[in-house]
Amino acid sequence: MPWGLHTKDTPGKGRILIVDDEDHVRKVLRLTLTKAGYDVVEADHGGKAIEVIGSDDNMLMVDVVICDIRMPKINGIEAIAFFRQQYPSVSVVVLTGYPDVNLATDLIKQGVVDYLVKPVDQVKLLATVEAAMEHRTALKYHH
Amino acid sequence: MDRSSVTLRVIILGAGKGGTALLELFTRGHGVAVVRIADSNPEAPGLGLAKNLGIPTATDALSLVREDRADLIVDVTGDPILSTTLLRHKPPRAEVLGGTSALLVWKLAQYERELRDQLIQSEKMASIGTLASGIAHEINNPLYIITGLSEHLQDETRLEVIREYVDDITQSAQRIATIVRDLNTFARRPQESIRDVDLNQTLDEAVKMARRATVLDEVTVVTQYSAVPPVRGKPEEVLQVFVNLVMNAVQAMQGRGTLTLATTTADGSVHATVRDTGPGIPRHLIGKIFDPFFTTKEQGKGTGLGLHIVRDIVTLYGGQVTVESASGQGAAFTVKLPAIASPPGSPIT
Repeated sequence: MPWGLHTKDTPGKGRILIVDDEDHVRKVLRLTLTKAGYDVVEADHGGKAIEVIGSDDNMLMVDVVICDIRMPKINGIEAIAFFRQQYPSVSVVVLTGYPDVNLATDLIKQGVVDYLVKPVDQVKLLATVEAAMEHRTALKYHH
Repeated sequence: MDRSSVTLRVIILGAGKGGTALLELFTRGHGVAVVRIADSNPEAPGLGLAKNLGIPTATDALSLVREDRADLIVDVTGDPILSTTLLRHKPPRAEVLGGTSALLVWKLAQYERELRDQLIQSEKMASIGTLASGIAHEINNPLYIITGLSEHLQDETRLEVIREYVDDITQSAQRIATIVRDLNTFARRPQESIRDVDLNQTLDEAVKMARRATVLDEVTVVTQYSAVPPVRGKPEEVLQVFVNLVMNAVQAMQGRGTLTLATTTADGSVHATVRDTGPGIPRHLIGKIFDPFFTTKEQGKGTGLGLHIVRDIVTLYGGQVTVESASGQGAAFTVKLPAIASPPGSPIT
């Protein structure tokens, strides 16, 4: 499947950028999120994510980023630092296979909404995404 | 007299468990040199190890005793006839350690071997601890694919989609099985037998373990293997040597750089080199890196025993390990082990 929007013309409940180097992980996330009514954009590493989120195309405005940590090229930690600095109103949720309390604490201090460890069930994931959306909406109105 | 500078020349009679334990202990230095070892059984394990170490062997104990000048003859054969004839035939200057005294020394040597095995195993377990977060990542990803797709299967009715998900789930489950199998291979205690080991294959396995532990996508792995003869050792111990070296290399490069693995044959030895493009080892630390508990890694990332155990295992099999490095220019560790002319029918493990 090519990069970019999968449901470009539908407004949906919000737009989520999935950043994970594993095709099948992105596939599970895509299924869960599109079924729940979200719009999904994908990137297979941090560099691609930065490219996608920085696109001038208004249609690509992202509400929430779900980001893996261990990825080739630009990893999640580097990508998240960039998102938090350049797009502070975009909510970031970490979804990683890497349970690390210190890292989780650091990232939450940086403003990450939640640090989820794979495997995560649909209910928990969607609840977190919903919270991240609300966080984003609150920030939007605040500004 | 400064006894610490004297090398004690020892002949070991008996190359069964006792003789092998003594041989292993004495060959690790400490001012003792084993000059000969004998056993009436040509298949005795200690004779094989001695050949590996380049120590002359014999099956006729008495001829050996008459021929060679030694400071000490340690008789662990338990043969009472030998012990009396030995006293008549030994060179006058040689002392004999036999009977219960030799048994006691043998027991101490065995105890030392057990401690050493425990240390090796503990270091391996500790390194698995440092590998654990990487391995958790490796397992949690496919696990998420399995649980996630299973959830979606519950409300899926299209047969082709169900088949597609089931295929994905099967692949992910197989991935986990492979990881667990590799980890088990690494974690298990070494088997008793010393066998032929192919270093090219061992280096490949070591990289596979490192791949489990860290993202190697940014590490270019270059292999420069020659068709090398096998070496002798316990496969698990030889694997541990190279896992430690490869993990060190990858950690030194912080996941980015070129890892070169090379094998070649020179002077009757197989040379296996693990080279990285990391920051290198500062000159003042080079002399310390093989010391036990010496580490430059942050807490929780290293035990300080990795290189010490590398050298311990390599020395045990009659080899040596050397390092070339300069600040800013990476590091290259070369393990040299005696090459074995593979006898027909002996499988390379």
